[in-house]
Amino acid sequence: MPILSVKDLKARYSSKGPLILKGISFEVEEKDFFAIIGPSGAGKSTLIRCINRLVEPEEGSIHFEGGEVTALRPRDLRRLRRNIGMIFQEFNLVNRMSVMDNVLSGRLGYTGTFRSLFRWFPTSDVRRAIELLDRVGLRDHINKRADELSGGQRQRVGIARALMQEPKLLLLDEPTSALDPKISREVMSLIRDMARELNVPILCNIHDVQLAREFCNKVIGLQDGYKKFEGQAVEMQQSDLEAIYAMEVL
Amino acid sequence: MTDSSTANPAFLQEAIRKRRSNQLIKFLLALAVFFLVLWSIDATVIADTDWERIGGLGAILKSLARFAELDFSLIPHLIQPTIETFMMACIGTLLGCLFSLPVAWFGAFNVTPNRVIFYPLGRMLMTLSRSVHEIVWALIFVAAVGLGALPGILAIAMRSVGFISKITAEAIENIDPKPVEAIRAVGGNQFQVMYYGILPQILPVVLGTIIFEWDINIRRSAIMGLVGAGGLGLTFFRQMAMFNYGGVTMVILAILVLVIFGEIVSHYVRKAVT
Repeated sequence: MPILSVKDLKARYSSKGPLILKGISFEVEEKDFFAIIGPSGAGKSTLIRCINRLVEPEEGSIHFEGGEVTALRPRDLRRLRRNIGMIFQEFNLVNRMSVMDNVLSGRLGYTGTFRSLFRWFPTSDVRRAIELLDRVGLRDHINKRADELSGGQRQRVGIARALMQEPKLLLLDEPTSALDPKISREVMSLIRDMARELNVPILCNIHDVQLAREFCNKVIGLQDGYKKFEGQAVEMQQSDLEAIYAMEVL
Repeated sequence: MTDSSTANPAFLQEAIRKRRSNQLIKFLLALAVFFLVLWSIDATVIADTDWERIGGLGAILKSLARFAELDFSLIPHLIQPTIETFMMACIGTLLGCLFSLPVAWFGAFNVTPNRVIFYPLGRMLMTLSRSVHEIVWALIFVAAVGLGALPGILAIAMRSVGFISKITAEAIENIDPKPVEAIRAVGGNQFQVMYYGILPQILPVVLGTIIFEWDINIRRSAIMGLVGAGGLGLTFFRQMAMFNYGGVTMVILAILVLVIFGEIVSHYVRKAVT
């Protein structure tokens, strides 16, 4: 029984714009670290944003935990989103807020408007935030402002924020593109280890094929909105990669 | 020189002729402006002034000297209006901030609830607030709620909305959308997206603007009394009506002290928040 199944997904950004996704189907199983690779502009970011409907899909279906995502009304959509953690390429932290408040903001989907007005999170949330920050190695930076941290540290805050949601699925949008190779590996290992501990499947955009081979078990390759490859990461051949990246002209 | 010129002679002549006629037009225009200025001085100053009443230069200086005879007995009566003026500025600015919240929300293109109705409405309110002078606002509110500090506060609040909400709306339009996306992705509602994703980003600009506006509002509240809306302006008006020119000077000094105080506070607080 897959956690997430996507069927024939089509999407475009504006009603007159070009079709970005031209019918994508795949399934994510319970223990997957699922990679989406492909050249820039292939539709990787659009695909991942359709899953939690930051981008509205035009056609097709997305099944998550037995429910249809594309039909959800706003209130249920927020409930869905709080079950899906997201980690971003540029970390997407609120720079003028403390590390602690950034991590706690991962709980906003569970927090009422009145409580969030005074940043009055339950003690259990605060305790969990401290534990997570300790776990990702930021014990000494809890009360610093987010923009005082280095890139690698900021992405660790991003990881803690996503895990704060107690997600059933993690979406990773190029989580290492803004980091150097050594820190990229550290961050990927941390995400893999914590996802295993918490038993959360991962769907991950990544353009570094080497990293995808190293950390992921399944791979799909996108090219210009079409799925060009699907298989186990270990089965992926050089010829497959050449087919996926064949159209990269720009 | 003529040998090295590559332009054909007819073209050269034409260019020179054009330049001359342009210069002539400019000269005629300057002449017209000169006579227009002369005419307006004659019409407004020379013909419209009661020269006999002014008398000579000595008489002018004598009139001005009346303002120099400071009336220190007025000091105890200045304390309360000074405080009232200051309070009017503070409360008016606060109220203006409150009014600015929805106006900025409506008038920021990226967050407006509706781009066809609310966006133009927000922009219109911004313009309305600034295009009506504070004295005119005060007159309207004196007519509506009577004399006293309240109409002054309302007038200052209405006049403040335009600037505060315009700067706030522009700050909202210039935010980094990435944190907003993150708050939407964790399942935050509309309020949470604004409060956690947008507000921290615009706060320094908005606070700086509010303090700047407060500084200006101290000046504004000092003249509110001229139309019966309380504060130092009212004292000024009374001293003027009693021809107590020394007292008028005292009021002006009180306003000066208050304004300087406001500027000093504004300078340091703005530095601290931005």
